[in-house]
Amino acid sequence: MKESLLEILCCPLDKNDLELEDAEYDDSSEDSEILSGTLVCTACGERYPIEDGIPNLLPPDMREESPA
Amino acid sequence: MDRRANVRDTYDRIATHFASTRAYAWPEVESFVDSYADRETDVALDLGCGNARHAEVLAEPATRVVGVDVSRGLLETAADRSRERGFAVELVQADASTLPIRSGTVDVAVYVATLHHLPTRELRLASLDALADVLASDGVALVSAWSTAHDAFEETTGFDTTVEWTLPGGETVDRFYHIYDPEEFTADLEASSLETVSFELSSGNCYAVVKPVVD
Repeated sequence: MKESLLEILCCPLDKNDLELEDAEYDDSSEDSEILSGTLVCTACGERYPIEDGIPNLLPPDMREESPA
Repeated sequence: MDRRANVRDTYDRIATHFASTRAYAWPEVESFVDSYADRETDVALDLGCGNARHAEVLAEPATRVVGVDVSRGLLETAADRSRERGFAVELVQADASTLPIRSGTVDVAVYVATLHHLPTRELRLASLDALADVLASDGVALVSAWSTAHDAFEETTGFDTTVEWTLPGGETVDRFYHIYDPEEFTADLEASSLETVSFELSSGNCYAVVKPVVD
């Protein structure tokens, strides 16, 4: 994901701002795609992973690993 | 298990094959996007984007397109398609009834063939309210759902069912659907924070162009 996507995204639980932590960037892309990291809600503290460049913003009760 | 998670798991299992059979955008979506092509579209949203075939149509007029789906398997097919066909879409894994998108940010949205996969009326209404919330005050959206008007169904009132998906090896996977009757579809829109601009039945699907109710 692009870091600028944070202008649009918010916490699915309470719609507050998300903060990016532990970001790893793809240096080969022009506008520094984020490959992995964590989005943290600035209000409730819920943590959402960025996996393979796609943020997983499912509410926590839907986020458990899918069976293969 | 949460039945929303069942729908997600089903599409994770069939993602690659499903996406390969969904090459083309629906004409109803193309004409909706065309009809709003003249207005300034900063942010477009494809809610239930699947392989992003409709995000691709939105990428023409919009500065940026956000593609949301519950299934990571489908999002991976969307990433592949955008690379192969050279259009930009920003992908997010999320649930339609709890959208992680800021209020009032979306200019044009399509919510096509997705509403009918939400397993309860409460969740379907929550998703319509969530869509109303993320739309800008002058934003518009196209909402569609499979309906009893389709030749496949004899029922005349809305009902819950499962529809099998057959994988190439012959294995079948059940998908949850709520098949809407057209009156029920328009009533659910009416009950939500969306206002219906126009409604039509086409190819057995209900389609509505909607905008948020402005207080």
